[in-house]
Amino acid sequence: MLEFSQYCLIASSILVALAMVSYVVVLAMRRTVRQPALAHAGARGSGSTETPEGVRGVGATAKPTGLVWYGSRLTVLALLFLTAALVARTVATGHGPFSNQYEFAVSFAWGMLAAYIYFEWKYQVRMLALVVLPITEAILLYSETADAAASPLVPALQNNLLLTLHVVTAVVAYGAAAVACAAGVLYLIQPEGGRRGLPKPALLDEIGYRAVVVSFPMMTIMIILGAIWADIAWGTYWSWDPKETASLVTWLIYGAYLHARVVRGWRGRRSAWLLMLGFAAVLFTYFGNLFFGGMHAYA
Amino acid sequence: MSQKTHTDVDETVTGREQPGNLARDDLDSGIEISPRDLVDRIYRFLISKRTGLTLILAMGLLTLVGTLLEQAPDRVRDDPQAYASWLDSVRPKYGGWTNPLNMAGMFEVFSSVWFKSVTILLAVSILACTIHRTPQLWKRAMHPRIHVAEAFFSHAGLRAKVTLPLPPEQAIEQVRAALNGRRFRTITDPRGPGLNLYSDRFRYTPFGTVLAHLGFVVILGAVLISATTGFKNTQFPVTVGTRADVGYGTGLTVEARSFSDTYHADGRPKDYVSELVLYRGDRELASQEVRVNSPLRWEGVTFYQSYFGVSAVMQVKDSSGKNIFDAGVPLSFTSDDGQNAIGQFTMPDQNLMVYVVSAASGQVDPTIRAGQVRLEIFRMDSEQAIGAEVLSPGQPTTIGDLTYTFERERQFTGLIVSRDPGALWVWVGSSLMMLGLCLVLFFRHRRIWVRVRSTDEGSEVLLASTERRDSGFELWFRQFVADVGALAEKPGGHHEKVGAKDA
Repeated sequence: MLEFSQYCLIASSILVALAMVSYVVVLAMRRTVRQPALAHAGARGSGSTETPEGVRGVGATAKPTGLVWYGSRLTVLALLFLTAALVARTVATGHGPFSNQYEFAVSFAWGMLAAYIYFEWKYQVRMLALVVLPITEAILLYSETADAAASPLVPALQNNLLLTLHVVTAVVAYGAAAVACAAGVLYLIQPEGGRRGLPKPALLDEIGYRAVVVSFPMMTIMIILGAIWADIAWGTYWSWDPKETASLVTWLIYGAYLHARVVRGWRGRRSAWLLMLGFAAVLFTYFGNLFFGGMHAYA
Repeated sequence: MSQKTHTDVDETVTGREQPGNLARDDLDSGIEISPRDLVDRIYRFLISKRTGLTLILAMGLLTLVGTLLEQAPDRVRDDPQAYASWLDSVRPKYGGWTNPLNMAGMFEVFSSVWFKSVTILLAVSILACTIHRTPQLWKRAMHPRIHVAEAFFSHAGLRAKVTLPLPPEQAIEQVRAALNGRRFRTITDPRGPGLNLYSDRFRYTPFGTVLAHLGFVVILGAVLISATTGFKNTQFPVTVGTRADVGYGTGLTVEARSFSDTYHADGRPKDYVSELVLYRGDRELASQEVRVNSPLRWEGVTFYQSYFGVSAVMQVKDSSGKNIFDAGVPLSFTSDDGQNAIGQFTMPDQNLMVYVVSAASGQVDPTIRAGQVRLEIFRMDSEQAIGAEVLSPGQPTTIGDLTYTFERERQFTGLIVSRDPGALWVWVGSSLMMLGLCLVLFFRHRRIWVRVRSTDEGSEVLLASTERRDSGFELWFRQFVADVGALAEKPGGHHEKVGAKDA
């Protein structure tokens, strides 16, 4: 079963790489091929309706064709293989795949792919893949180097319900954070007013915000569940453990992002920077225990 | 969160010029700021979103520093000597930066004046903001601005125009029914031109910001409560087969009936279990198997499984044969060279302090054979040892005036005992924050203004909303507009639904 899980993981890494290649090729070709205008929801009924300019691109129903279609399908396939890898591992180990760096790397990649596919479905903005897929691939490759041996849970982790909830919320929060970061990156790489081929800045801004709307509450629940668990297992809900502290920094950055959106002068580029900073903090929180000890030393 | 607020501060200075009054200096002109001005300025500073944002980022930055730099452990902080030697231990790592970092409190960030100031300022700013904002939210929910100018329908973020082959009265009632059917409340705007309607949904959810921010302040308060009340003893070893007083005025005693540590085949720990019995006096209050994830709770006092080790069970008798000490001495400390496990107990009446030393697990000490311990006895007020002796199990040995017997080695279970009245408030604050966050982020206040005018073909329906950056609502709005457009197709027999919720 563990072997099957490994094969699925490798398959998934290859699929993500292929999807990445498709998108890169599309991007390279896009400079010469004009993008067709996005379809608009038409009026229905006998009355005539008008929707003004300024809302284009949102919920566009342009169907992907050619390599874009392949890229999109490959991503979904990669998610399926990754899901199979996680399920197989759960069956083999008897606990959720969250108990060490290897298992969480795979879960983290799963979260990013799932969040990306959700936002792709919702907004039809496949450009996000250009940022999300390389990060996912990097995490998947990292997982291949991490120790994949299945090991029993240390006593502190023997709380299946809290372990599952604490980490599942982290996976969703981090996955959505990756999409938000991608939106921030795309926002920042285009000049004022937007560039042909790239989504409109307003749309990217919204995708970033929507992703944080998923990520931030999940992160909050993750931290609260972690605190509840720490109170049960270690006798204190907060102990400034490096991982706890790093997760608080991350939470504060996204909190700052949400507040920045209501402060004039902090919208647009500056909040896009905060999205990137936030995801950097996510990565720091995840990789932090390679450098720091503390009570999260196992994962 | 998305709603525009009016809290941006006008930073105009209120100190007034004093033209023609050359005798006055700068200080005098400063006095011209009345206390009211000052309070006003502080208030405006506190409610500024920019201040809030800066404070959040400052807190994040300090927290980051606390993660990156090594922090002095709790027990070291209260002891200047221990702190100095701890500082020396990190000096090689931070070099010339050690002293400046230390002076700035960066080795104890979370108890530093900076962190406390930022936290307090943030809490006050959040409170001020919340107090400032609540009346606005109340007004928007209860007395919304129902009238809009004509320009609004041509400039709003979301807007649409639908032509219906119906008279205006009938058209607006159809739109009203459609909105009511989608759980929007509708309010008629009697002011012209044309027929007007204000409509909204989820009008109370913006109060979620109040809940979320109050939740955050409650958590900060709870942390303060945790830090200042209750107690926490992280080193509470109880030798198996003995009882130990909890102290801290609880009147509780804990007996450890057994302890077991089990391991997987690869050597990783599997389980640590202590069978504990809790007493007050001789009355048994509770008994439980305590594991890492299942502490024993009693009247707010909680016992956690934390560590374990070996105790030396010691008995000490005075010259008359009276027992003056009979308990397990946990060998909790390890000597600097890792060779010995060391325990310690005191007999204040005798002015004596006794160290019990054994070979650490897996180590061979030629002077202490397996199963033996060495006693080192000191006067409490002096560094001078008054005797040292190696004891075999069960053999009484007299040192000074007292007879010492090392009965046997037994396991002890190390517990954390705490009472934390702050924890409850952390959970209250967390719940408030989650509730508020969900209300604000997932149920946004939706507002639509409708204007219907008579035209040659029937009527022209203008719809507009301020929501711009929300594709979900935008899709909804477009669908709604399409449905309104389709109204004319339906038979006009559903007028009875009309006007049910007119405020």
